[in-house]
Amino acid sequence: MVEASCFAVRPGRGGATAAENYFAARRRTLQVAASALLTEAGFEATEYAALETLTEMLQSYISEVGRSARALCEHTARTHPVPSDLLLCLSEMGFDVEALPAYAKRTHRIALSAPPTSHMPNTPKGLPTGQRRARPQYIPAHYPEFPDPHTYIRTPTYREPLTEYQVLRERSAAQRRDVERALTRFVAKTGPTYNLFDTDSAAFPLISCQPSPNTYLSALLPSHLAEEAASLDNRDNGITTMGDSENGHGLEAVHSSASLLPDMGVNRPGEEPPIDNPYLRPVRKPKVRRRK
Amino acid sequence: MNKKKGDKGFESPRPFKLTHQVLCINNINFQKKSLIGYVELTIFPYLASLNKIRLNCKQCLIYRVRVNDYEAAFIYNDPTLEVCHHETKQRNLAFFSNAYAAAVHAVEADSGNGELCIKIPSELREHVEELRGLKVHIEFWLDQPKGGLQFVVPDLEGSMAERSAHVFSYGHQNASRFWFPCIDSYSELCTWKMEFTVDASMVAVSNGDLTETMYTSDMRRKTFHYTLPTPTAASNISLAVGPFEILVDPNMHEVTHFCLPHLLPLLKHTTTYLHEIFEFYEEILTCRYPYSCYKTVFVDEAYTDASSYASMSIFSTSLLHGSSIVDQTPITRKRTAKALAQQFFGCFISRISWTDDWVLKGISGYIYGLWMKKTFGSNEYNFWIKKWLTRVTDYELQNSGILLHPTFPSGKDKESPTAHLHFSTRYPHTLPCEYYKLYQAKAHLVLRLIENRISMEFLLQVFNKLLSLANTASSQRYQSHMWSQMLLSTAGFLKSISIVSGKDIQPLIRQWVEQSGVVKFFGTFVFNRKRNILELELKQDCISQGTQKYVGPLTVTVQELDGSFNHNLQIEENSTRHEIPCHSKSRRNKKKKIPLMNGEEVDMDLSAMDSDSPLLWIRVDPGMTLLRRISFEQPDFMWQYQLRYERSVAAQLEAIQALEQYPTPASRLALTDILEHEQCFYRVRLEATQCLAKVANAMVNTWSGPPAMKSLFTRMFCCKSCPNIIKTNNFSNFQSYFLQKNIPIAMAKQRDAHGLCPKEVLTFILDLIKYNDNRKNKFSDNYYRAALIEALANTMTPAVAASNESRTVEGLHPDAKLVLEEITRFLNMEKLLPCYRHTVTASCLRAVRVLQKNGHIPNEPGLFQAYAQYGIFIDVRLAALHALVDYTRVDTSSETLQWLLHLVQNDPVSFVRHKVLTMLIEEPPIFRNAESTLCTEALVDQLWKLINSGTAHDSRLRCDAVDLYHALFGQGRPACLPLPELGLVVNLKEKKTVLNPTIKTEPGAAVSENVSSTAGGKQSSVGEVVIGKEPGTGTSASQGVKRKADSPPADVTGTEGVAGRQDDDNNEESGKVKVRIRDDEEVDIDTEHDTLASPKTGLEDYPSTQGSEPLGAGQESPTTPAARSARASPGNDHHHEHRKKKKKHKHKHKHKRRHDGRERDRDSLPFLGSPASARSFNSLSMSD
Repeated sequence: MVEASCFAVRPGRGGATAAENYFAARRRTLQVAASALLTEAGFEATEYAALETLTEMLQSYISEVGRSARALCEHTARTHPVPSDLLLCLSEMGFDVEALPAYAKRTHRIALSAPPTSHMPNTPKGLPTGQRRARPQYIPAHYPEFPDPHTYIRTPTYREPLTEYQVLRERSAAQRRDVERALTRFVAKTGPTYNLFDTDSAAFPLISCQPSPNTYLSALLPSHLAEEAASLDNRDNGITTMGDSENGHGLEAVHSSASLLPDMGVNRPGEEPPIDNPYLRPVRKPKVRRRK
Repeated sequence: MNKKKGDKGFESPRPFKLTHQVLCINNINFQKKSLIGYVELTIFPYLASLNKIRLNCKQCLIYRVRVNDYEAAFIYNDPTLEVCHHETKQRNLAFFSNAYAAAVHAVEADSGNGELCIKIPSELREHVEELRGLKVHIEFWLDQPKGGLQFVVPDLEGSMAERSAHVFSYGHQNASRFWFPCIDSYSELCTWKMEFTVDASMVAVSNGDLTETMYTSDMRRKTFHYTLPTPTAASNISLAVGPFEILVDPNMHEVTHFCLPHLLPLLKHTTTYLHEIFEFYEEILTCRYPYSCYKTVFVDEAYTDASSYASMSIFSTSLLHGSSIVDQTPITRKRTAKALAQQFFGCFISRISWTDDWVLKGISGYIYGLWMKKTFGSNEYNFWIKKWLTRVTDYELQNSGILLHPTFPSGKDKESPTAHLHFSTRYPHTLPCEYYKLYQAKAHLVLRLIENRISMEFLLQVFNKLLSLANTASSQRYQSHMWSQMLLSTAGFLKSISIVSGKDIQPLIRQWVEQSGVVKFFGTFVFNRKRNILELELKQDCISQGTQKYVGPLTVTVQELDGSFNHNLQIEENSTRHEIPCHSKSRRNKKKKIPLMNGEEVDMDLSAMDSDSPLLWIRVDPGMTLLRRISFEQPDFMWQYQLRYERSVAAQLEAIQALEQYPTPASRLALTDILEHEQCFYRVRLEATQCLAKVANAMVNTWSGPPAMKSLFTRMFCCKSCPNIIKTNNFSNFQSYFLQKNIPIAMAKQRDAHGLCPKEVLTFILDLIKYNDNRKNKFSDNYYRAALIEALANTMTPAVAASNESRTVEGLHPDAKLVLEEITRFLNMEKLLPCYRHTVTASCLRAVRVLQKNGHIPNEPGLFQAYAQYGIFIDVRLAALHALVDYTRVDTSSETLQWLLHLVQNDPVSFVRHKVLTMLIEEPPIFRNAESTLCTEALVDQLWKLINSGTAHDSRLRCDAVDLYHALFGQGRPACLPLPELGLVVNLKEKKTVLNPTIKTEPGAAVSENVSSTAGGKQSSVGEVVIGKEPGTGTSASQGVKRKADSPPADVTGTEGVAGRQDDDNNEESGKVKVRIRDDEEVDIDTEHDTLASPKTGLEDYPSTQGSEPLGAGQESPTTPAARSARASPGNDHHHEHRKKKKKHKHKHKHKRRHDGRERDRDSLPFLGSPASARSFNSLSMSD
């Protein structure tokens, strides 16, 4: 017989939850089944660890059967396994299905008592909110109930967006100002500064200017950040509206200037002539002097 | 010179003709800022007796000169290097300007003179006699040029190309002589062949066609070969070398643009418009662009925004801009268009003499104006005309008349037309910048007057005719006598006009061109109800400075109820009253629309007008057909009607100006209406903002409602839902952009009853800054932000009195604190995210200065000095310099003044040097000799030195310095100088200060050897040329070395100066002789080349003192190289006496000169200071 100790609930843990009890009970049933098989096989006693291992194996076996049966049924586009699924899966696992009826009818078989009732009876209710969904029919009654709706139903919520124009502008202005101020303060603190007031060096620090070569580059080319911002918008230039220049002149211009200055490139229709400009011509190499 | 340049065309002042010139620059060293090259001039003698050739050359060190492969002797003398040689105590401008004019004359190519005189080797005598061509080959070296060529070598790592090092030529007027020997005259044309060998990574851009580019044998350098077959004056030759990016114009492949590395995108955008300008000019002139190609080069540290040379223009790189920049776009286009106009008139068609310059400037300005009218509309054009007309009249009335075509009486000069000025108008190099600017403007205005007279059609025909003649002439490659057709003179221009139009415009020319001054009218009127007549009284002021009398027709436009009527009045000698009949009865027809001049009919609210009079407004000379200033009086309601309903921009501006005097609710309403009127020209609306602010200030006690323009601005630019927040920027409507930019500036000028800016306005502007949001805008808001800062600065009012020390953060006024916070933030942000042309930084600096001036923050120049240094972007530097100039003036800080003057002498960028002086002239720290702690003898000496020798490399700068001297001390002797010693006489009546310089004897040897080659008698007293000479011509190299050591570091003196310094210990004045000349034309500068150092010494001494061995012997003044000219003042008894005394004096010195200090001389010889003694002394030495 299986030692009683293996059934014993571990002492000192009287406070075990109902769920733990529930799982323990299932486990115990499996263990009982394993013990019964051992007894059938002629064992009289077993070490707990061995029993435990066997139970584990049993569990794995059952799980595997269930898993592959399910896989097989889903493979054939069903949701519920049929006996043939099970048979197939068992034979795939190397089990002699033919022998199964005989085994079921064996004489020395030990009848197991029904698993203890009141499994998983009362999960703590917690704070029941809302209406729990009823189980669908196909779910056996001993399966757990649906949890509270709030734990799985997602209700996207958001605050009413700020649509008030004034507030938005204010915020964006304030934010930009804060960023700028923080940035300039940082730079001012980490580099040389000029102070407008002799007495107080912290008030109104001005980042001191450094002379640099080719100042026209920074002055004329837009800074990178500004450029990025600008590239988002279409960069169509609107400058032409400044004067009342007619855009229609475009084509004419090419022709008229070509005809006015005939000695340079001659425009042949249909053929894009290469630009003939002395600055684009290749640089000639000097004649190599022959050396004796 | 001054040969009669009549209608016969051009006569060369030279005894030879230049036909071709080769300019070859073999090597340009950026590190050492030097270049080596040679020129070869092909000349044909006119005279068989030709034995010397005068060329222009400054700064260059000449290795050798060969004429047809024979070594030639040459002498070099440049009196402009140091204008007044002797240490004169005179120090007044009348004296200087005479001496300077004479010095310029002595080297002016237009008069056939030059710094370099080459003697034709005797071997070629026969050759010359047969009038066969000569080839003059000159090898030269230019080292660290101070003018003429600008080397820009950024202080960076890497090769010169990586550093964007470049070099380009520049100059004020004819200044090519600064970088290569030539005949630096606009009237000496020749064909050109140019070769420039530069680093392989560089491009050399020059005039004419690039025929070939070739590697040198080591493949490390390239040679650019240019030919310019169009006959061109040397003054129109230019060069730019640098690692330029090349852009071939997509619309015209023969046009090429060049810019510095990294700027190509900007260049592309900037030049997109150029082909339209080309088209326009070619169309109106019905003449194609005269050169086969055109090049634009954008360079850093440019001398001016734009300068035009033959087939090439050099622009400042600051003109480049991207597509997001609004304000710069029209400016850049105008500059390029103007430069292109000068290609036709100025480069291709050149002038005969300086006095004809106005024709070229006028024509190029005129066709540029036509382009502007077509491109920007006639409103812009009229605004521009009005602006320049006002500026020209203001200048003339305030300073002096501008004479376009001065004629200088030859022979006995009595009254030079501009004798009262502190400068000479005789040469372009002696003109102040401001004068020349307005001279050009006036030339253009006069051209417009001519257009009015003969019609535009005819005028364009004249241009076409001139161009086609020149075109024909230029194609005559081998008939150089034809080339004079390419030169334009006043007479030639007038002749063409009379041929084409058949009209005689001589009176017009006489009035405006040959005579200076403008017309000044005062007008009042009375309406005579009984006779229904307008009685107009027009008075002329023709007595005060800068005015002239006008007699002739004058248009008056009267807007009546029944319409607008033009009346042509005849202005006559004596009558000032004019009666003009009115067309309408005074009784108003009810509800009838009133027809305007342009045919438009408008409804008007006529309740404001005088019920007896049908007059709405009156305009005198509405078409601006005279150069005039008109002060016309009419009641305020008439001005208001004029502002609202007159469609002419000029009339609207006049009305705005007049309404300043009438701060009434009605004026306010009229101005506000104009502001809101979208059809109205935007510049008028901008003017209205300024005027409205003034009106509001004048009405401060009765003003009701929010500050002026606030509600208007809110309505136009702020959100509907929240009126205190401005809309996110959208500048696609430029009119409203400019308005948006300018209204805050004007608003901030408002003051409440306590003289403070209303708090509401400050908050408003701060809100504008706070809510400024440019993210959705396709244009940059940098100018707008700069304007907002300017507005902030405008709100500042003087702080409660506090001394400089007690200005602390705690004591800062809360308003000022807010302003300062914004400025600080902007200024700091600019360091991290700089905006286009750093407009915001510049504006911040100006604002800081305003805060300082109003006593809110400590008054210190340190910040500005930091921003004014070299290596900061030019616009920022100029803003900082302006603040410094202001500081100097307000605080009379001599330290800052010294700092600025140091900059003037040493800054690498000549434009900055020029601007500093200009700013000092505009806001002089000392006003005309007023008492000031700044006014010290040392300052006078310093400035005098600057004028005299410190600015010899740049005539623009020298004229600026003269102007500054004039602004500080006036025309006479600076008050701070100690009283001149006894005997010094300033002859103010004759406008020539014939002070006796404390002249010293020269070394005895030199005197005894000396034979003056000039006849002393032929000179008299217009100008004075001071000629230094070297005492011992045979001085050895060792002396030269010593000399160098002796001379002070800032020494800019030339040959003579150096020579003179040689015996500093003994006598500063030694070796100098003063020559007075009566008649400039007769100056014989042959006498001047004695100043040459001996051959080898010259080389080592000073680049510009260059001589060669044969010189000493081979001169035409054979006896001595130390020849001097002298002058006798004939028929002057006084002088005679002095002469005798002087003689004694001189002999005395012969013996003891070595130990005689000047002081001693003065003590012992007080009579020395008579006007003539100096001159007479020389003639004496001759007679010896």
